[in-house]
Amino acid sequence: MSMRIFVGSVKNIFILFFTAAILSGCFFQNPDGGERIGIGYNKGYSPEQPIAFNHELHVSTHKIQCQYCHNQVERSKSSNIPALSTCMNCHQQIAGEGENAKEIKKLREAYADNKSIEWVKVHMLPDHVQFNHQAHVTKGVSCQTCHGEIEKMAKVYQYSDLSMGWCINCHRQPENKAPLNCTTCHH
Amino acid sequence: MNNNINENMTSTDQEQRPSHYPQNVERNTQFWKSFEEKNDTPEYQKAVETEFMSSPLREETKHEGTEKDGLARRDFLKLMGASVALTSAAGCIRRPVQKMVPYVKQPEEVTLGVSNYYTSSYFDGQEGFGLLVKSREGRPVHIEGNPSYPLNGSAVSSQAQASLLGLYDPERLQKPYRNLLNEARTNKETVSVSWEDLDAKVVEQLGKGSVAILTGNIASPATSAVIQDFCAGFKADAYAWDPLAQDDLTEGQKTSFGGEAVLPEYRYDKAKTIVSVDADFLGSWGPSTSASALFAQGRRDLDKMSRLYSFDSTYSLTGANADVRFRIKPSQQLDAVLALIDGVADKKIDVEKLGFNSEVFAKLVSELKDNKGSTIVVAGGISTRTVDSQNLQIAVNYLNHLLGNDGKTISAKSESRASYSSMNNLIKAMNAGSVQTLIIHRQNPFYALSESFGFVEALKKVAMVIYIGDTMDETARFAHYVATDNHALETWSDSEFSKGVYGIHQPLIRTMYDTRSFQLSLMTWAFMAKVGPERIQKYETFYDYLKAFIKSDILPKYGKGQDFESFWNNLLQKGFVGEVTYSTSSRSFKSDSFSQIKKQSESHKLELVLYAKTHIGAGNLANVGWLQELPDPVTKIVWDNYASVSLKTAETMKLKQGNVVTVKTGQTSMNLPLHIQPGLHDEVVAIAVGYGRTHAGKVGNGIGVNAFPFVESKNGNAIFAGQSVELTKTGEKYELVTTQGHDSMEGRQIVVQATNKDYKANKGANIHRHHTWSIWSGHQYNGHKWGMAIDLNTCTGCSSCMTACQSENNIHVVGKKYVMQGREMHWIRIDRYYIGEAENAQAVFMPMLCQHCDNAPCEAVCPVAATVHSDEGLNEMVYNRCVGTRYCSNNCPYKVRRFNWFNYAKLIEAPMHMSLNPEVTVRVRGVMEKCTFCVQRIKAAKNIATQENRLLKDGDIKVACETACPTKAITFGDLNDDNSRVAKVFAKEERAYAVLEEWYAKPAIRYMSKIRNNDEVTASHGPTHDAKGADHA
Repeated sequence: MSMRIFVGSVKNIFILFFTAAILSGCFFQNPDGGERIGIGYNKGYSPEQPIAFNHELHVSTHKIQCQYCHNQVERSKSSNIPALSTCMNCHQQIAGEGENAKEIKKLREAYADNKSIEWVKVHMLPDHVQFNHQAHVTKGVSCQTCHGEIEKMAKVYQYSDLSMGWCINCHRQPENKAPLNCTTCHH
Repeated sequence: MNNNINENMTSTDQEQRPSHYPQNVERNTQFWKSFEEKNDTPEYQKAVETEFMSSPLREETKHEGTEKDGLARRDFLKLMGASVALTSAAGCIRRPVQKMVPYVKQPEEVTLGVSNYYTSSYFDGQEGFGLLVKSREGRPVHIEGNPSYPLNGSAVSSQAQASLLGLYDPERLQKPYRNLLNEARTNKETVSVSWEDLDAKVVEQLGKGSVAILTGNIASPATSAVIQDFCAGFKADAYAWDPLAQDDLTEGQKTSFGGEAVLPEYRYDKAKTIVSVDADFLGSWGPSTSASALFAQGRRDLDKMSRLYSFDSTYSLTGANADVRFRIKPSQQLDAVLALIDGVADKKIDVEKLGFNSEVFAKLVSELKDNKGSTIVVAGGISTRTVDSQNLQIAVNYLNHLLGNDGKTISAKSESRASYSSMNNLIKAMNAGSVQTLIIHRQNPFYALSESFGFVEALKKVAMVIYIGDTMDETARFAHYVATDNHALETWSDSEFSKGVYGIHQPLIRTMYDTRSFQLSLMTWAFMAKVGPERIQKYETFYDYLKAFIKSDILPKYGKGQDFESFWNNLLQKGFVGEVTYSTSSRSFKSDSFSQIKKQSESHKLELVLYAKTHIGAGNLANVGWLQELPDPVTKIVWDNYASVSLKTAETMKLKQGNVVTVKTGQTSMNLPLHIQPGLHDEVVAIAVGYGRTHAGKVGNGIGVNAFPFVESKNGNAIFAGQSVELTKTGEKYELVTTQGHDSMEGRQIVVQATNKDYKANKGANIHRHHTWSIWSGHQYNGHKWGMAIDLNTCTGCSSCMTACQSENNIHVVGKKYVMQGREMHWIRIDRYYIGEAENAQAVFMPMLCQHCDNAPCEAVCPVAATVHSDEGLNEMVYNRCVGTRYCSNNCPYKVRRFNWFNYAKLIEAPMHMSLNPEVTVRVRGVMEKCTFCVQRIKAAKNIATQENRLLKDGDIKVACETACPTKAITFGDLNDDNSRVAKVFAKEERAYAVLEEWYAKPAIRYMSKIRNNDEVTASHGPTHDAKGADHA
């Protein structure tokens, strides 16, 4: 009996060391090489997308407003990824050149086949969190406050760490008059 | 606590109890939940000592049918170690990559994350509802009543709400089938078939003639028109039958008044005295939701409240709500009415031989005489279907005629088609060989029709049986073809639930599978055979047919002078047109119909009475877990039916709760567990129908015992009650599971009941106020402060709120085994308390939910601050902080917290997950949960007000339970708004009290005492309080 406990505890100690090693690896690793971020936060996350959509080109160069595509952000808690039909409003006409043409072709083909595009989610809140775009946008919080200078992002990355502390930092400012109850976000 | 209550206790009291048993609680023995509690048995004391009825460490094999749970605690901890390592490894790379898939073409009406609401209808064969169905991204997620609909308003029955799960039932049929039956039709080999093949075969067969079609009650005029057209085309006969058909009532009306066989409509709000003879109009019989609403209207003004007398042979919800309840056996139903008739006619009556208190009965008679024209005598439901049912109905009609009620409180309503005589005619026709093809639409005679009718035998003479429905039920299995029907939420239709109200039935979702609506099937076959009127052949869909039908048949009636487009748009928008019209002319009574009646029933030593349960009915929705787990309003038993007898009968026969007994009537006998029901007549055995389905689906199969075989066919009548019955003990035991008795509140002042006499003397009668004080000033609520008021006087205990809450808040069904261990998850429950002696106990219902206390005992003990107080007075539960210590639940005096013992959410089978409300987190294992006051609705209403740049108004927020309540017993609002309905109750209402006020938890819910209108005076009872009442601080 005592032997078994001994063997068990050796195993446990091994698990403990293993865990600690992995944890510490996490703390020191970060994608930007800059500040250290917490476990599970994905600040700087910038996955490859099925179509290399360029926000900089659309917003800065062509001066298309955010809400042209994300048109439900003022009406809904979720900001929508535009339907392919929205893209096709322009891309019916615009075929693009060079590399761009390849990407636009993917879009046109998908639309013609009545298939959607499976975008990879960049901004992901943890489970149990209910975030409301409408409430923030209509209060005058700009897109850039949370999403960063999205108009300059050729490839979208996660600008804020989207942690609870980061949310609360804003909500706590008296001038924002934002609620601080748990059920504001968690229910 | 100080000690002066101890002095009231005798020393023997204290000696009997274990030392750690609470010594100084005031026990009010007037109110009780179960016999164990009433008698304060050692088992009961032991049960209330333990907070959780079971612990994960305790052996589970104590209960039947449990498999061994492989995870011992130590293994669990080891696994924990491993999973910590795994999760942290995954932490720095991205968690499983999630994809986002936008629409290809944006649907115009869908805004991601915003609910749409569509008007629709629901009909369960007895009651119809105007609905407002919530849809998210194209899938219906919650069913509520249409607030402006004249009959039910925002209230809906539990069944109507639970029908949502039928849509997502994984076992719903997804395509048409055919059955490869052999000559004797004994095998069941079901194979799928294409619609083309099915149609070709069916049309070929229909062409041979001798067609019959069997449906249930149909409330849709357009569907009736299709059936009519179909019958005209194929020269078919239409039959209608429903297991709970009310032909005794309609035939009684016809015999008494002549004319059509109609269903009467009762105006319970206009009546001063209501006499129910086994008519469970508040529970399981007829349009009970709208009847409850009307009944409550007549009782809201306490000075003029109506009085309900009930002659009750089961313990029905109506009996439980009655001011005066006479317990009877079925053979006394007619006697009671005849005695009333004699009494009203000033003849001498002797009711003592019926076991009634003659003084009380005389008072009832004089009240009836005094209130002529504003009384109602009503009998109906399967419990009144004795051999005398016709006579009973005629006698009731005669009595109402004598009292001048016809045309005042009672009027003729639309006809009800379904009847047992129609079924008998069909069987006769089948036996005569004049039916070669039978189309059955959603009726289940193989389950719900007893053998004595001979349906199964007769059906063998039919060459082809076509079943149109959406489950492979007992009857569908024996059909040659199953032309799978859409779910109601996938179908266009219409409704006319009451004269003058025409409603639309919109689909909420495109057909999920390869199914076709009943109407379109009939239309297709008529089109292919090129028979019938032009309209049935012309239209490609039932939607087109419906529109044309409305244009030609409905518009001239309901929208004179309007153009069709605006009428149609208005109909879709509002959900209905017209208003309820009551005919006010009194019909002439054929007096010879009464003089001809002759009592046929004999009194037996022990009489059987079958009844329908409020939530299960005839068992059509047996596969819906919500309904099976919803406790019976009176017995509070879940997942079973049983044979109920009175305490005295059980004692004489030496039977105990849960003993399996053999119930035998004539040729039929079956084994059922015994339930001892307070207040039942000593010579009655009551059994609910709707259980014992064999092919309902995974959830409903084998739950309880099918009691329909007890129904006897006598001269074409279906006999549900009054048969002589024998009970014998088998020696086996069976565990019946009740939710009452869990969560004991130790006999303190919880429910308050007073009589109208008490109330007149003192509006706050029977409420013990406690002087409470604190050295802390308490929380400050500067914005809103949410609160709720619940009127026990109008609450009938129907439990619609429980289903509404379950649907709104994604509450899991845990199953019988775990309810047995006290692990049910309902956030709101209806506690039922019996009052007085077991022989004729009264019952009071009390909705119990999180009280959102200002000084919440749960908040103080949470080690991880997972339950905290908001600045709006909500007691918040933060799931992602909760580590599952369950201290909060231990410390909650109201016993409203629920713990996720298992990961129930993982058991949700696709596509059932589509019914979940996306605005509410689905909780995982190890997390505590409880009522949130529908915080998602509070947030949504606040958001709307902010967008519209205005302040919140009282009534902007309607929580789920409040919305579903037929009697408007629940009110939610802002206590900081002096003009809100809730604030007024808190400030002024003298009947209002806080439960367990003396604990000083300062709950945010006030209950208003139940008033029983029976002219008695409550005897003083309970522990003595000193004059100041200031001793329990």
